[in-house]
Amino acid sequence: MLCERCGVREANIRYIEVVNGVKTEHHLCSECAREMDFSEYSAVFDGDDPIGKLLSGILGVQLAVHPKKEEEWDRIRCPVCHTSYSEFVENSRFGCAQCYEVFDLLMQENVKKLQGSDMHTGKRPKFGRPEARASEGAVEKAELTREEELKILQSKLRDAVSEEEFEEAAKYRDAIRTLKERMGAGS
Amino acid sequence: MKWYENTDGRNDVFAAGRVRLARNLKSCPFPNRMSPEEIKNLNGLLKSRLSDLGEADGTAYRYYAVNELPDKERKALWERRVINETLAGRKTSTGLYLSDDESMSLSFGGDDHIRIQCMSTDVNLDQLWNECRRMDDRVNSRFPYAFHEKYGYLTAFPTNMGTGLRVSVILHLPFLSMGKQFRKLITEVGRFGIRVKGMFGEGPENYGNLYEISNQKTLGQTEEEIISLVYRMASHLAANERKVRSLALRENRVVLTDEAYKSYGVLKYARQMSLKEAMTFLSQIRVGLCEGLLQTKEPLNVFGCMLERQPASLMVRRLGEISPEELNILRAETIRDSLPELVC
Repeated sequence: MLCERCGVREANIRYIEVVNGVKTEHHLCSECAREMDFSEYSAVFDGDDPIGKLLSGILGVQLAVHPKKEEEWDRIRCPVCHTSYSEFVENSRFGCAQCYEVFDLLMQENVKKLQGSDMHTGKRPKFGRPEARASEGAVEKAELTREEELKILQSKLRDAVSEEEFEEAAKYRDAIRTLKERMGAGS
Repeated sequence: MKWYENTDGRNDVFAAGRVRLARNLKSCPFPNRMSPEEIKNLNGLLKSRLSDLGEADGTAYRYYAVNELPDKERKALWERRVINETLAGRKTSTGLYLSDDESMSLSFGGDDHIRIQCMSTDVNLDQLWNECRRMDDRVNSRFPYAFHEKYGYLTAFPTNMGTGLRVSVILHLPFLSMGKQFRKLITEVGRFGIRVKGMFGEGPENYGNLYEISNQKTLGQTEEEIISLVYRMASHLAANERKVRSLALRENRVVLTDEAYKSYGVLKYARQMSLKEAMTFLSQIRVGLCEGLLQTKEPLNVFGCMLERQPASLMVRRLGEISPEELNILRAETIRDSLPELVC
């Protein structure tokens, strides 16, 4: 289907508008969509990668619904790179690793919407983590739920097996078993 | 030989595969929060401490200060997907370690500190991932990464957090993309978090009918799960292309054979060739070679031929400026020279 605005490019965006209960459907190409005013959703169409802007689209809606929050959110700043939460929402970009800690509580639901999950289960760095674990471990452990802890252990087990570190793998296997038993007893 | 010049393949629906990792260093703000001087210093450090990259597997790497390259060379690197558009357009310091065959690259100073990428015309995603993983560990042995127990590898864009992994398969879909069911299929695979995008533009401007199928989600799945998902969805689209194609061949074999031969004729003898014409005719030849409608004496990699006929990739062959007319003449000339003879 061709874009209803320019009639030249293929329409790749379907925009459904509901005004006073009346539903209208529009088919647009990304270039025309970028030029049109979709109020708070406009950010989604900025730039070359609309997906890259999806989070600011989702978060931007919250700002529009709660304009007072914008001021409050401007005050939440990362102590390392000074990115404010409003800037993060506007640009859909973190300024440094510490931003993840600072914005964690505010963004976690939106991260779930964007990514379908808020828990990493993949590869972990092979180097440069032991010291970090020693200093951060206690704090992180206290904050993690048992399910999260389980996922981390399972991911470590996978890494150990793929690296053929079977002694390590056995340790993780036992830790998973103990944790599962505790979870079973808890429920 | 460059990876895209490999003539082992049979110009199948699967054209190429790509695996890319986004990584940032632990104790350093992301590039968007660094001063130009800081980025320059960091890239200098990355360049010097990774200078022996290829020693482990005997691959030769060359370093490029991308921001210091002429405009057309940066664009040509982007056209061949060695770097992304952000890196190609960045004025601050940007660096690139590129293997001789251009299949493996490490770029510095784009959206993230480091991007590791591996590409091949043989769509063996597990192999590409293993190569990327090895390189990732090699870099990590020298530089600690920014990593979070919950959010995984930390990246500038939330769309990359977690694994930092983008897996892409490039498919040649000339028949499927013409039909009405294509849109439905795109929506269908979209529900699984898979994005389908024209390789050279949107809709009818995507000359050559090449489509990039890639994962949108990077968090909550293991790398192996992401790779398997992308491959399954690409295979689903490829199976549909083959189905539509075989139906068209059954009904219109003579017409399609005629189209393939006419395309060959135009490409072999034309004196001027626009990008649109070249990509359209090369796409028809790719179908002809894949389906055995025509045969060449020497193998021909149509995908590589398409990549090398993009505007900037042609411009770098000549010194100085080149007009649009001269570019079309050069395109026709280089295609004529690279087309092998037909088996009659």
